[in-house]
Amino acid sequence: MDTKLREIIESLIFISQEPLSLEKMKEVLQEFPFEEVEGAFKELKESYASNDRGIQIIQRAGGYLLSTKPECDLWVRRLLKMERKNKLTSASLETLSAIAYHQPTTLSEISVLRGVDSTHTLKTLLQKKLIKIVGRKKSPGSPLLYRTTDKFLTYFGLNSLDDLPSPEEIKKILEEQADLEE
Amino acid sequence: METLETYQVKLEAFQGPLDLLLFLIKKRKIDIHDIPIAIITREYLEYLNHKKRINLDREAEFLLIAALLIHIKSQMLLPRERVLEEEEEKDLRQLLVERLVDYQKIKTASLLLKEKEDEELQKWRRTFLPPLLETDALDFIEVSLFDLAESFFRLMRQREKEETKTIKGKEISLEQKMREIIQELKKNSFLDFLDYFNRQESFEEAFVAFFSLLELIKSKIVIATQESHFQSIKVWFRKKAHKVN
Repeated sequence: MDTKLREIIESLIFISQEPLSLEKMKEVLQEFPFEEVEGAFKELKESYASNDRGIQIIQRAGGYLLSTKPECDLWVRRLLKMERKNKLTSASLETLSAIAYHQPTTLSEISVLRGVDSTHTLKTLLQKKLIKIVGRKKSPGSPLLYRTTDKFLTYFGLNSLDDLPSPEEIKKILEEQADLEE
Repeated sequence: METLETYQVKLEAFQGPLDLLLFLIKKRKIDIHDIPIAIITREYLEYLNHKKRINLDREAEFLLIAALLIHIKSQMLLPRERVLEEEEEKDLRQLLVERLVDYQKIKTASLLLKEKEDEELQKWRRTFLPPLLETDALDFIEVSLFDLAESFFRLMRQREKEETKTIKGKEISLEQKMREIIQELKKNSFLDFLDYFNRQESFEEAFVAFFSLLELIKSKIVIATQESHFQSIKVWFRKKAHKVN
């Protein structure tokens, strides 16, 4: 197939600020039939997957992006003179999963789920743009409603909310833990 | 019988009371749906007694669950005269179990998310391109009138403390002020809410400016947005309104 189209798509993914969706590719590559775009993209993906490259194409938040491979982390950090990146606190992780599984949800619902007042954690997550306000709940006091953002998906390497650990997966892990303790 | 010493973990290590309860249940290898309330309550309270530092906010949350445990326990000890009471006790216990089950799910999911985070943080992407220029491509939140009014009155209260004397300013009409706001927007594309009102000479002027702004928002000529909650409020032209003017 057309190598040129493949090159264009590669450039687009390289330069795109957000994960590049197929729809966006189609929009930009309007002079090409969509099947061709799709085909060229598939070839590009395969060539990345089969070659010994330090860069990979990954699917995040409904689009595609280029990233370095985890095994190169040490040297990338050495070049950028960066320590390991800051990780989220356990409180943040817990609050995020409470929101992710119960969205849209309110501060008080989250606090009840965790058994802990979550005002401060929520504020931190808003500042980090991992969650957003989507409106107010139609209940007494009209509390604000929160949802996770696309940045949340990208941060945890998820393509969509469907990629969150499923209830079955969680159940299996809990059963395994219980078995281990027997 | 195990003593507390054999598994001394500081209270600070737990995310909250539910976390501690789960720990105690796991420790005893108890089925979460069948908790021996008396034993768990005792161990839970022992933990509270052994805490090192006092942190009132945190403690209140731990005490809340302690109170619930004791309540359930006392209900179980009392002779049951009516079926109704039995149901109530069952309900409380059932509610606690449900909360624990829900919490356990979230906690497990958060551990899985942590693994994903670890892996994802080792993948590097380029992030140093200039930000997008299109303002509406950014994730802005439209600010409600309530939030606007709140910010405005907070600001005015601050100024009230600062200014003890106010020289009576010139009289300004709503129309004049509205025109002024539009002029500023044409010049700078946006207007910083707090900054704008701080620049007003007198209270009267600030109030007129505030009502002019509300009028402009009402007639959908401008829009007030916030990049995220707790960040500064900015006022913009609405795209279509721009052409009308």
